[in-house]
Amino acid sequence: MLPSPKSSVVLSDEDLGGQERRPGTPFLQRPGVVATVFLAPFLILFSVFRVWPIISAVSISLQDIQSIGQGEFIGLGNYGSLLDNESFIAALKNTALYTGGTLLLLVPIPLMLAALLHSGSVKAPGAFRTILFLPLLAGLVVVGVVFQLILTENGVMNAGLGLFGLPRLAWLDVPELALPSLLIVAVWRWTGINIVYFSTGLATIPNDLHEAAVIDGASGIRRFLHISLPLTKPIILFVSVLTLIGGFQLFVEPFILWAQQGGVGPNRAGMSIVVLLYRTAFTNFQLGLASAIGVVLALIITVIAIVQLRAFGFFARDETNSGRRRRSR
Amino acid sequence: MLTKSVRYLRILVMVVVLGMVVAACGGETGSDTTGAPDAPGETEAPGDEEPSGGGEVVDLTFWTFVQAHADFIESQAAEYNASQSEVEIRIESTSIDWDDMHNRLLIALQSGTGAPDLVDVEISRFGPFSRGEVQFHPLTDIVERNSENLVSERLAPYTVDGVPYGIDYHLGAYLMYYNTEITDAAGVDIDAIQTWDDYIEAGLKVKEEVGVPMTTIETSAGFSLNGLMLLNGGGRYDADNNRILEDPANIEAAEFIQSLIFEHEIAVVAPGTEHHAVEFFESFNAGESASFWMPQWYMIRFPENMPDLEGKIKVRPLPAFEPGGAVTTMGGGTGTAITLQIDPDKVEVAKDFLEFAKLTYDAQVKLWTVLGFDPFWLEVYDDPALAEPDPWFGNEPVMANIKDMLDRLIPEYTGPHYAEISTRMGDVMAFELFEEQRDAAEVFAEAEAEIAGME
Repeated sequence: MLPSPKSSVVLSDEDLGGQERRPGTPFLQRPGVVATVFLAPFLILFSVFRVWPIISAVSISLQDIQSIGQGEFIGLGNYGSLLDNESFIAALKNTALYTGGTLLLLVPIPLMLAALLHSGSVKAPGAFRTILFLPLLAGLVVVGVVFQLILTENGVMNAGLGLFGLPRLAWLDVPELALPSLLIVAVWRWTGINIVYFSTGLATIPNDLHEAAVIDGASGIRRFLHISLPLTKPIILFVSVLTLIGGFQLFVEPFILWAQQGGVGPNRAGMSIVVLLYRTAFTNFQLGLASAIGVVLALIITVIAIVQLRAFGFFARDETNSGRRRRSR
Repeated sequence: MLTKSVRYLRILVMVVVLGMVVAACGGETGSDTTGAPDAPGETEAPGDEEPSGGGEVVDLTFWTFVQAHADFIESQAAEYNASQSEVEIRIESTSIDWDDMHNRLLIALQSGTGAPDLVDVEISRFGPFSRGEVQFHPLTDIVERNSENLVSERLAPYTVDGVPYGIDYHLGAYLMYYNTEITDAAGVDIDAIQTWDDYIEAGLKVKEEVGVPMTTIETSAGFSLNGLMLLNGGGRYDADNNRILEDPANIEAAEFIQSLIFEHEIAVVAPGTEHHAVEFFESFNAGESASFWMPQWYMIRFPENMPDLEGKIKVRPLPAFEPGGAVTTMGGGTGTAITLQIDPDKVEVAKDFLEFAKLTYDAQVKLWTVLGFDPFWLEVYDDPALAEPDPWFGNEPVMANIKDMLDRLIPEYTGPHYAEISTRMGDVMAFELFEEQRDAAEVFAEAEAEIAGME
């Protein structure tokens, strides 16, 4: 049934198109005009600050720009040079490992913690949630500086290891420890917000399902696996995609942790793609190559996000829903 | 049917929205004449205001990444104004973080607007500005007027095709910093160390007697490597701005440092991997190594970061690779340049001021007395102000010691990809050479291949 124009606040395109324009309606009162005027600020700003820079970046990526005010069209030359660019390959590897690590840590751990909080077995879950959420309120630069002090050879981390009789580690000076250092920061920083996301998802699951399962004799773990987990799938998908995008956009943490080294870490072990992009653009002033790195990064994120969405059945569900809608008409 | 008031309200809302859009998308309007004082590039034309000292007022904007440089230039402007009555310079200085300042400068020059009149450009960031059309005004005339007094090698890093574009704050002579508490305990006479063979012998003695390494090597920065590359006659570029990364002198220098670490075992990787790391400051302050080489400007790091070493540090030339060979070279640097975006009417005044601020006898004395840097004006080294003993550094006249090295100084030259080579040295080469003990020839060949691929 089509909604009545009088009872609906938001009109769909179909509704607007279906309205008959009465002769003599003032120009500014026509629905299309009003919609255009109200959308115009967003569309103009989006075009100027989003669409145009993207087009410009693609255009620059096809040029060799190494000196101010001068550029030469070289087609896909910058993209070709990335294939055997040692720095790019190292940055890609570091970023992929970091993103993989964050996906492995920042989805299951917060999900389990959220389930634990939701189960009622934790006293004062609100306080617990608040404490876990607090790291998100600290600025990333502050976090970076604090962790630089924590992870230094005479820092808190090594003091903690010493309590257990473990040897001191040069967290920020050894290539093998660069990725773990970044992951420690990521877990500390993002676990809380992910718990909040998962808690929201878990709260929407009807209690009836859990009660029925309890009556049937299901244990807590079985209820988590067969009720909570499947029903929080959209949240898991959401958090995964956010984590994935955040992982590939890694910049501030290595840039602060290894500030003296321009964010690359020992033997480039902490250098992310965005750090490389930044250094290529500004330190080395190779704008064409830097833009090519940016475009490739955007493509990587897009492709992986689509694959991830497909794997979770995101598109399939949409098709099913739209099929249902069609059938109901 | 809509009432008139509702209709007017709708029209009003639309007008407001449209107004916001226009305001958001519009650039500077002609009505904005407030001229925020800290807005980069906004300088007042000479003669716009009443001069306070009688001369024509010339406002010059100046960007730097060191507050001490800003203070120095401002104080020199005051001296300049007092020295003559024709022009009154007003410096509007802005001190910005190193990375940020160079990035902003690149963007301003690339976009054609917003660059300052005067700017400090660090040596490792100079390359991009020198590719294609150099973005600074030539300083040939003011340099030529003073050439007989200057240590001409100091102009090399900012010279492109024979034209100087920047004036430095210091000579940046490489020095060996000895902790004499350790060398004395080991029975080592630092004045007897003339060659690297002597240094190795002394290092073995220090290791045996005191149990600490003789020196530390950077693996995430290029000062340890670059210093000896230059001292051995190599470097990144030659005098004609040709890249010479694979020069045998560079490979020999790297292999020599490797021998200090792996063969003689008198050197270790610097704690924190570089000589500017907090870990290194703590370690050297605690007497965990006996010496290291860095440029002269590193001296100003000691009082604040290694306070326990007051009076114990003595500064000496680098050992020579062969008797009578070079004993110092140049490291780091920051050149003050005049950008092409300066008002053409101000160029001559800016050059005149730059000459006064840095290329006069008094200015060069102040480089030491005010900033703590080694001057690059030969006669200045005989000035009483530079002959005063420094209690912090063994109560010795440090500058007098540096003067004795100047005839055995190797210059450093730069070129268009100096920045990329700096990046490569700090990111990869030093680590591969001194942590992984990789073949030096291969490491330099790979670096050359990467840099060549950028052309």
